[in-house]
Amino acid sequence: MKLLSRISRSYLIISLVVFIFSGLIFYRLLSHIFQKQIDDTLKVEQLLVEQTINYSDSVPDFRLVFGHMIDVTILNTPLKKHGVIHDTLMYDSDLGEFASFRHLFAENSSIRNKGYTINIYKPLIETENLIAEILIAVALVFISLMITLAIANYFIARRVWIPFYRILAKLGHYQIDKAQPLQLSKTRIHEFNLLNDALEKMSAKISQDYQNLKEFNENASHELQTPLSIIKSKLELLIQKENLDENQYRLISNIYEATNRISRLNQGLLLISKIDNNQFLQTEDIDLQKIINTIIDHFSDLIEHREIRLSTKFISPVMLKMNHSLAETFFSNLISNAMKHNINQGFIEIAVDQNIFKITNSGQILKTNPAQLFERFRKSDSNQDSVGLGLSIVQRIANLYKFEISYLHREGVHEMNVNFGRQTLQN
Amino acid sequence: MKVLLIEDEPQLSQDISEYLYKEKFLCEVVPNFEDAHEKINLYQYDCVIVDIGLPDGNGLDIIRSLKKNGSETGIIIISAKNSLDDKITGLEIGADDYLTKPFHLSELNARIKSIIRRRSFGGANEIIFNEIRILPEQMEAMVNGQSLGLTKKEYDLLIFFISNKERVLTREAIAEHLWGDQMDMADSFDFIYTHIKNIRKKIIDKGGEDYIHTIYGMGYKFTEIPG
Repeated sequence: MKLLSRISRSYLIISLVVFIFSGLIFYRLLSHIFQKQIDDTLKVEQLLVEQTINYSDSVPDFRLVFGHMIDVTILNTPLKKHGVIHDTLMYDSDLGEFASFRHLFAENSSIRNKGYTINIYKPLIETENLIAEILIAVALVFISLMITLAIANYFIARRVWIPFYRILAKLGHYQIDKAQPLQLSKTRIHEFNLLNDALEKMSAKISQDYQNLKEFNENASHELQTPLSIIKSKLELLIQKENLDENQYRLISNIYEATNRISRLNQGLLLISKIDNNQFLQTEDIDLQKIINTIIDHFSDLIEHREIRLSTKFISPVMLKMNHSLAETFFSNLISNAMKHNINQGFIEIAVDQNIFKITNSGQILKTNPAQLFERFRKSDSNQDSVGLGLSIVQRIANLYKFEISYLHREGVHEMNVNFGRQTLQN
Repeated sequence: MKVLLIEDEPQLSQDISEYLYKEKFLCEVVPNFEDAHEKINLYQYDCVIVDIGLPDGNGLDIIRSLKKNGSETGIIIISAKNSLDDKITGLEIGADDYLTKPFHLSELNARIKSIIRRRSFGGANEIIFNEIRILPEQMEAMVNGQSLGLTKKEYDLLIFFISNKERVLTREAIAEHLWGDQMDMADSFDFIYTHIKNIRKKIIDKGGEDYIHTIYGMGYKFTEIPG
């Protein structure tokens, strides 16, 4: 729900409740006032009737005087002074139905000691109509006020929230890996300026931390190179020693293998951080067919050794604008991946057409989730020797050049598709 | 043979010079740019190994002054940065080879020997090891005058062995020598075994001796004494 409609709805509900309550109170107040007025009139009329009876024992036709139902009866016995006013229902001959009346009933004695009773009826229908009309008028005023307020609110809010949506749009486009800090324009509204400041500060901090982290990764991998070099060279000297027995060889061999793994891992991480730090700016035109053939040539003896059938199909020439060593890493990782996870006497098919590079290979049935295939250190458990960075590097390079990679797996056939998109040079 | 090693990490330079010493190389070590400059202006070397990330200067400048002096020395760059730009610049200004740290000492040794071979006799010299004769120009290996008919990889492997004779070569070092550092496949080890089996067979078929010894769990060793 939009903030604006949320606020409007709350306002509307509150106003409605207030309106109903105040309407009720108002109605009660009006009824009370009108009743009091009617009662006063009834009392005045009673007084007039009493005075008339006091002066003359005769009873004139009060109906002619007051114009509504009045009934006076004179008795010979005196009566105690007594009077009540209450509501009653009576048949109204004018309306032809029962209607509410205000009824005054009084008993008294005249100065000549003659008792009399007075019944005066005043119809309430007029005051009821009046109250209804007043209430309708008030309701109309209220509704028009509400509508005006809602419309005004809508337009004001829309104007007021413009900077907010502007901030949102900027945040949506903010990319942490771009070195540009978040820059938001000043607004006239204090709260939004506060928000701007907070966001700018936060993004600057995040950006700084991100840069530091990237630099840290690169520096850490870089600094590891020297001690690794030392360990490797010391081990190489150690294995040259005469009179090592088989057990010692085995131990050294294990250390040596582990060191090589760290070393490869570190080189992979270093490469990833270099890609992330955009250190491969120099690009050149890469002939895809040429680079793939070079890589295949490099691996050809291994392919033959494992009796893997390799076929390549270059349907149309493809030129890419890429950094040369990244292009080499990219395709050689994809091809060696297809070899690594292959079976003996399996196959690899490479097809290049327009802006698509497709590599299909036979292999084991995939046990891991295909979506995690490109994550760091994700590897199928069968291959202990792999450090699990190859496809992650492929993914980084693809991100850098905005290539799209998709992966399909069907019963031991793996297919990797790279769409070069707009990176392809038209020729 | 005189080699100048310009490397600021003392542990590493110590190991390199120890390895090279056994190859009968006279290895001089300098830890910084200034000393290196002094040395190359005073003496002649067969090969200069230079780390380009020196604390007080860029190793590339040492290559530039060597070339300015018209030096004929072989130059190998060793760098902790696997940077293509540095590699291209280095090779453009006259370096012969480029190795990224961490590297195998056996690899460095093989590369130094290859450079020295190319430099000293214009590459036309032969490598002779008992009955094995290698003609680097034709990329051919012969035993008792008969060609072994080695494949490219087998030939590379044989040279690698002969350059590092009497040394244990680890399977990793061999794999990296043959396929580069992008190789991380366990089955490349089986494949090395297949290659070695083929080399052995080809040499024995032509009446040669088997000089390749298997070192359990580690790798192989090429020795004077046939196994």
